[in-house]
Amino acid sequence: MTPVVQLRGVVKIYHMGAVEVRALRGVDLEIHKGEFVAIMGPSGSGKSTLLHLVGCLDRPTSGEYRLEGQDVSRLDDDTLSEVRNRRIGFVFQTFNLLPRLSALQNVELPMVYAGVPRRLRRQRALELLGRVGLADRVHHRPRELSGGQQQRVAVARALANEPSILLADEPTGNLDSRSGEEVLALFQELNEAGATIALVTHDPEVAGHARRVVTLRDGHVVRDEPVHSPRRARDELRLMPAGPDG
Amino acid sequence: MGLWEAVEQAWDALRANPLRSVLTTLGVVIGVAAVIALVSVGQAARSRVVGEFASLGPDLLWVLPGKAEEGQQFATQEGRFTLTFADAQAIEREARAVAGVAPWLQTSIEVSGGGRREVTTVIGTTANYLEIRGLRLLEGRFLSEADMQRRKRVVVLGEVLARQLFGSPRWALGRRITINGRAFEVVGVLRPQGQVLGVDLDDRAYIPFSTAQLLFQVNYASFLFVKAQDTASVLRAQREVERVLRREHGEEDFTVLTQSQFLGALDAILRILTIALSSIAAISLLVGGIGIMNIMLVSVTERTREIGIRKAVGARRGDLLVQFLVEAVAISLVGGVLGMGVGLGASWAIAARLLDQPPTASASLPVVVLAFSFSVLVGVVFGTYPAWRAARLDPIEALRYE
Repeated sequence: MTPVVQLRGVVKIYHMGAVEVRALRGVDLEIHKGEFVAIMGPSGSGKSTLLHLVGCLDRPTSGEYRLEGQDVSRLDDDTLSEVRNRRIGFVFQTFNLLPRLSALQNVELPMVYAGVPRRLRRQRALELLGRVGLADRVHHRPRELSGGQQQRVAVARALANEPSILLADEPTGNLDSRSGEEVLALFQELNEAGATIALVTHDPEVAGHARRVVTLRDGHVVRDEPVHSPRRARDELRLMPAGPDG
Repeated sequence: MGLWEAVEQAWDALRANPLRSVLTTLGVVIGVAAVIALVSVGQAARSRVVGEFASLGPDLLWVLPGKAEEGQQFATQEGRFTLTFADAQAIEREARAVAGVAPWLQTSIEVSGGGRREVTTVIGTTANYLEIRGLRLLEGRFLSEADMQRRKRVVVLGEVLARQLFGSPRWALGRRITINGRAFEVVGVLRPQGQVLGVDLDDRAYIPFSTAQLLFQVNYASFLFVKAQDTASVLRAQREVERVLRREHGEEDFTVLTQSQFLGALDAILRILTIALSSIAAISLLVGGIGIMNIMLVSVTERTREIGIRKAVGARRGDLLVQFLVEAVAISLVGGVLGMGVGLGASWAIAARLLDQPPTASASLPVVVLAFSFSVLVGVVFGTYPAWRAARLDPIEALRYE
């Protein structure tokens, strides 16, 4: 079966003024449908760069990136926008919701750019917010929601156009441990339902929730191994005292 | 993304910063209002003045001192003193298509009478003037041939001047006024003629032309009024007057204008004036546009992160271009509509005050259309650069922006 993500010899070099930064120095990586991969590494290891490339926010300097078999390493900006819109779902550390829009409108946003008709869009956004447990918060603005709730809105937004892969960049980094665990529980549920997920983190405990851990160092993949018994977020939650989010 | 979505987004964005949006819009409002007000007042003034002159009668000609340059209707200041009373007599005597000639000598001076002093316009002319201009008397008589020959010190007052000096036109008759130290007897008061562009035609005193020359120690006429026999003979009258004067002067140091030529020249001057005024007003519209550009650039910078998020979830460059362009055009369009209202209101008020007539709707319509499209154009022109800046932002950098 065609892998969802297939990187071959991917190199990424930045020029920051006169300084050349070699963020990725030849990365080979495959992520298959239904996987839950954690990408780990210390800061400066190139994991954020890798996430940007996989998320089609950027193009590799050299090497090849195939997304579901299609070479996307040389596409122009607008085509990359379309690829991100239809096939990538982003979840960021800082949530990155639009503050003026309600939870519902935030979830609708990718569908607006996909040209989904208004009524269908609304219906699907409501459905997604229900799925992440926010059916009673659809008209709240981000600042009226807790961090955990905001991140769940972000997850709902990421799922809006049924992407091929969900990419999360330190999704628990700005959350208390309980809210973080809840987001991880959501990821695990989505993964069990068939979603492909790649999660970037520097935290081994967070990475322990994935089923496979890829470790980066100095722009190389230095380790790529399965997690034999992933931590179950639902079980962890049971051991925690009840938080403000309930 | 559909246009309607973009309009909704723009509305949300503008509402997020109400004061800023209102102030930016105000810049456009003022610009559009100024353009509309000045253009329509200019148009109204033009039609009013042209109408005034047209009402003098199509059979009227003006003889002005000095020769107009090729392609111009009015002479330069040179040769201001070339016309004389003898010219008027010669024309009257020899030009067959001419019904009458009235010389004109004008000065602004203080006159006193009835215990009051007023600065007014004193005009030296002949008995013909009444008939040539088709004026009517309110009281007494007009200047006569005998007044002219004997250089009598008699005066005919405009209605306003008569009222200012003596309280009522009726009480003016037989009274004396002093002009330049000499006493004049009031022999008549003219019926009111009204105002042209703030110049009161009834705040005047008419004295015999010969008396005026003596009084002011000059031997020329400012210009001559000529009336043709009828409308059909205007051009013939013009040729005859030119022929007589050429012979009298031995050179062409004068200009004869028919009413339509005079109107054309007047119209051209007023048109240039209107254009000049509107151009100045257009500068304020330009400033309004720069205000839009400025605020849009600030907005793009402030919303860098928003732009990054939108790009991450799939906005294309065109989507962002449209989004920010629609915001800019929304400001300018709202400003344009409000400015139109203010401008029309202002021009109506100004016209009603200065010209005693509101500008007609038909005159305003092209102006409105022009100002409207101009304001949209301002939004597009000044919104494009900020929108383009937003559209080409790199999503990764935009997302990192704090």
